[in-house]
Amino acid sequence: MLSRVAERVYWLARYLERVENTARLINVHTALLMDLPEHMEVNWFTLVTIFDAEQIYYTKHPRENEYDIMHFLLSDPSYGGSLINNLSAVRENARTSLDVLPEEVWEQVNELHLLVKSELSSIGNRRRRQKLLLTVMESCQCIWGMIANHMSRNYAYDFLQAGKHLERADMTSRILELATLLMSDNRSDALRQHEGILWATLLRVLNAQQMYIQAHNSSLKGEKVLAFLIQDNAFPRSLSFSVKSIGNYLEYLPGDKRVLELQGEILARLKAYSAEKNPPETIRLMMDELQISLNRLNTSITSNWFYPDYSAS
Amino acid sequence: MEKEAFTQRVKESEVEMLERGITFTIYSDAGNIDRAWPFDIIPRAIPKGEWERTEKGLKQRIRALNQFIQDIYNEGHIINDGIMPADVVYQSKGYRKECHGMTPAHGVWANICGSDLVRDHEGTLYVLEDNLRVPSGVAYMLENRKTTKRVFPELFKLLNISPVDAYPEHLAEMLASLRPDLSNPTMALLTPGIYNSAYFEHAFLAQQAGLILLEGADLLVGDDDYVYMKTIHGLERVDVIYRRIDDDFIDPEVFRPDSMLGVPGIMRSWRAGKVAIANAPGCGVADDKVIYAYVPDMIRYYLNEEPILSNVPTWLCRNDEDLDHVLQHLPELVVKPANESGGYGMLVGPHSSAEKVEEFRDLLTNDPKNYIAQPTLSLSVSPTCCDETIAPRHVDLRPFILSGDDIYVTPGGLTRVAMVEGSLVVNSSQGGGSKDTWIVDESRQIMEED
Repeated sequence: MLSRVAERVYWLARYLERVENTARLINVHTALLMDLPEHMEVNWFTLVTIFDAEQIYYTKHPRENEYDIMHFLLSDPSYGGSLINNLSAVRENARTSLDVLPEEVWEQVNELHLLVKSELSSIGNRRRRQKLLLTVMESCQCIWGMIANHMSRNYAYDFLQAGKHLERADMTSRILELATLLMSDNRSDALRQHEGILWATLLRVLNAQQMYIQAHNSSLKGEKVLAFLIQDNAFPRSLSFSVKSIGNYLEYLPGDKRVLELQGEILARLKAYSAEKNPPETIRLMMDELQISLNRLNTSITSNWFYPDYSAS
Repeated sequence: MEKEAFTQRVKESEVEMLERGITFTIYSDAGNIDRAWPFDIIPRAIPKGEWERTEKGLKQRIRALNQFIQDIYNEGHIINDGIMPADVVYQSKGYRKECHGMTPAHGVWANICGSDLVRDHEGTLYVLEDNLRVPSGVAYMLENRKTTKRVFPELFKLLNISPVDAYPEHLAEMLASLRPDLSNPTMALLTPGIYNSAYFEHAFLAQQAGLILLEGADLLVGDDDYVYMKTIHGLERVDVIYRRIDDDFIDPEVFRPDSMLGVPGIMRSWRAGKVAIANAPGCGVADDKVIYAYVPDMIRYYLNEEPILSNVPTWLCRNDEDLDHVLQHLPELVVKPANESGGYGMLVGPHSSAEKVEEFRDLLTNDPKNYIAQPTLSLSVSPTCCDETIAPRHVDLRPFILSGDDIYVTPGGLTRVAMVEGSLVVNSSQGGGSKDTWIVDESRQIMEED
């Protein structure tokens, strides 16, 4: 497999996962804010913090309101992390990997891109926005379904899966940073009152609510939710599941095994998590470190397979 | 069919093309790299009997052209025997001295050819251009058929229409035949990349024919003169390259040094027989419009046969008498530079302003060798869907011919249509559209009960 194509399908998967996660995050967050009183620690701007985009946001918008924030996160062509930019990146990568992808994948990506572009003008309307986000999520699921059902388990598939799981782990860790807010000792009374809804929302953002309830009945204890999302072995969006999956696919690839060592270290740290050893105030730091490690893993994948030193071979 | 139902089907076809991402890039459309492929849903039908003769003529023509290219890069009999003047060949822009002494597999240089055929108002069929360099459009031929099948499925039950979808398979077989020394050669399609107008086609063909889609930066030529691609396993050898890059850009060591698209050293590898390139470098010489005028002579000279398909009558401005005639009749004629494609840099006399005609008068007087002239053919028309009505529009036809150890001609080809009323310009690069083309076997009517 060409290194260039490997790189493009890997990034296709990362962007596709990012599009889906962004859509779900905004969709669920919107539903949450409808249940919460105004002026709480959790508000529209929380979304901007999750994407680490506070600085860029303030250079464009002086105020923090729903309209500006939605425009910024969904349709702003000059913000690299906006949903439309991520979707365009999916499309560009698909367009340059047509020869290795099932034909329907390209058609679906192209259709979704056309649809989102034509609907962007209506995202000021909350109902239409929510509907569009649902369509985006469904469409992403549909693309992954085509990949799962029509694609041979070849190197292109391995890079797609590795990219997807790496991106998912990154996104989950960003959302878990919110947990620090929910568990902090000096949180507001309003927040304490709505704790149940907030934990449920956290689970919903990661599409984890139903599976969590099956595993833990309905008791929404912060520590249990955290443990579930960090290290549950069976739930496919938990951090350890994602990091373990990266390894499952990298393992098949030729060449240097040092990438796997790095992935193994990250997994071991997640496995070592426990509520006693890792009190709530340390979660933020843990997630920051995880994001840095995932970045290193990405660099290592890049130099190992996408831009190796050919003079050595 | 009711007008409303028909309009509905037109809409379906447009949505379909857009959703499937069948696009074509227009270089001057700044900022918008994709345009939906303009497709006309009314198919053009050609009776099978008539087509068989055309197919024979195309095979004859490509055989002669390939023998000609092989000849001029080797012994040059056609020049020595006085059939063609030496300077017509050696001063042609498409002639590459770097190819001298080469014999590609089967002696075939132009492996993929997309001839343009036109019919005048009297019904005579002419070959307008041979297009031996990097002809495009075959993917659109295949996509057009797919779309027609989805939009008018019932017609395929009523008529006996030759299928076109075998092309990618034939392409792969032809490419494999270029390395008779290898049982399972590694084959690739070399594209200039996503910004090329035909990128969609490159990706489509690679996918359909099982070729690796490469860009120049994916390749390097080793010290052993083999061509290697950069893979996740390290370097791997490539044996056959279907290149969709012009000679000029293919190897910066030999041709344009500023080319970022090509592969330094690939000509060295080709000359050493370590990689097969289709079409072979240098084959564009036969696309020269002056050389075109000699194709009927080539057919007689190499094959000892009479040409089955006609050339458009052509005046060579390099000859004084021809030039005089052309200058006297300039407003009636079509003037073409010897070495351009895509309809660029030409004059269509009857459709041009007096200023434009005078501009060409100067060009012809200063550089007569670089120009040819032809009568303005009143191209045949085909019913075409225009703004919810059906109107006649001028069409041409581009069949595709594959030559390796054998010759294959697509049944029909790509019908291109000038969407603007009265216009004769069908080039997709200048806003033309296309139609599905049916070769219909009328001797075998299928009953609806079937």
